[in-house]
Amino acid sequence: MVYLDYAATGVMLPEVVEAMREAELEFFANPSALHTPAHLAMNEIEKVREKLAKMINAEPEEIIFTSGATESNNTVIRTFERHEIETSPLEHHSILETAKIFRGEKKPKLYSYMFANNETGELLDIKTLIEKAHTEGGYFHSDLTQAFGKVPIDVKELGLDYATISAHKIGGPVGIGALYVKKGALFKPLLVGGNQEKGRRGGTYNTAAIIGLGAAIDEIFKKRASSEYDTRVRALRDELARRILEEVKGSSLNTDLSPDKSLPNILNVSFRAAEGEAIQLYLDAEGIIVSTGSACAAGDGKPSHVLMAKTGDAEIAHSSIRFSFGVSNTKDDVEKVMEVLPGIIDKLQKMSTIEV
Amino acid sequence: MSEGQDWVYSETVKEHFLNPRNFLMGDEAAFSCDAVGVVGNPICGDQMKMFIKVQDGVISDIRWKTYGCASAIASTSALSELAKGKSLDEALEISAEDIDEFLGKLPKHKFHCSVLGQDALKAAIENYKRGIIKE
Repeated sequence: MVYLDYAATGVMLPEVVEAMREAELEFFANPSALHTPAHLAMNEIEKVREKLAKMINAEPEEIIFTSGATESNNTVIRTFERHEIETSPLEHHSILETAKIFRGEKKPKLYSYMFANNETGELLDIKTLIEKAHTEGGYFHSDLTQAFGKVPIDVKELGLDYATISAHKIGGPVGIGALYVKKGALFKPLLVGGNQEKGRRGGTYNTAAIIGLGAAIDEIFKKRASSEYDTRVRALRDELARRILEEVKGSSLNTDLSPDKSLPNILNVSFRAAEGEAIQLYLDAEGIIVSTGSACAAGDGKPSHVLMAKTGDAEIAHSSIRFSFGVSNTKDDVEKVMEVLPGIIDKLQKMSTIEV
Repeated sequence: MSEGQDWVYSETVKEHFLNPRNFLMGDEAAFSCDAVGVVGNPICGDQMKMFIKVQDGVISDIRWKTYGCASAIASTSALSELAKGKSLDEALEISAEDIDEFLGKLPKHKFHCSVLGQDALKAAIENYKRGIIKE
């Protein structure tokens, strides 16, 4: 199998599996209790909090562990219930739908712009927006789900007030994430009923998952040292893009490959006259795993809101395929994609009602 | 996806999607037909085109083109098998449910693919009949 859907999720790193296995057996005690095993478990949680804080240049007490990006995003939006909320049109649904329900007229205003988009990999230019938000007395949140671990992020230098982090996009477990809340920023807990996270998030600590996140962060520190994403993964992504444009008729990129314009691991391509779900499933039958922005693949019958916002062209959205790489992908994977992709697109184009 | 299945649709859908029957490969002019029916819109994500050849009131041959998802492709493929050899009136009786049944059931949110298929064939037959009246 050639797995190229890392932006959706990826297999847990072996180091993460091992760390979690040990944690489940060793640090099982409820960290909120008074006894010794509880303290030992809590110590492990605090170590991860420090690691995570260091990684984004925050203070440990500014990190709240959550069940993942959806909860972190919901928490920020709900903190600003009945406040003005402005978001980019490219946000994840856990921002867009929550903001739609809960926004109002009150000040201060919340701005929520993701650091990098999950479908195209686009890096949003948030610096000037952050300044603007602060000049107006507003607050700024950024969803770092895709960017965390792929590009360096410094929340202090950026001036972020809130940031969302997820573990499973970097080889950690599903069901754990974090929210960065700058000291002094407005905050309202989403989950109430427990003193965990200093009263900011109720619910028994998910010790093993937090330790899994810590192990994934350790791996990222190693990978960043070798700048694996920026060099090797980027080269694979760019090579696939180049070959698709060269060898596949009717192909066009929805990702700007310039280093400061997109994450190094995401490539979004549209294939004229071929529909995305059909492409995805033909690739699947060949053991190549990707995703699509086509409406047919989504349960709601709507094409990707991201590609619609970027291009305004439903055909582009329906015909889009996202290839998203992880550190375990190789040149051979690109080769395997290119062995079958041109034939698949050709077949679908010949079957299509649309002229290429 | 139903339990124990490793593919999102039924085995029959998979078979008709991966090995579609009777599709009109490439240039439309390569198939001389008596009538064509088109439904759908690429903006909505699917479009189907049915090409029929009629002899003595019977669909003697049929081809199709589809821009769309796996269910759309499988639906037109299945329909082409169902319609071939049938009289025009019999072919008009083929319902979306028949296509759905033939394919071993599409997921509910994909049922419209079989409706589109049925509509495309109906359009082709109606165009044919209109043509006959004109003659």
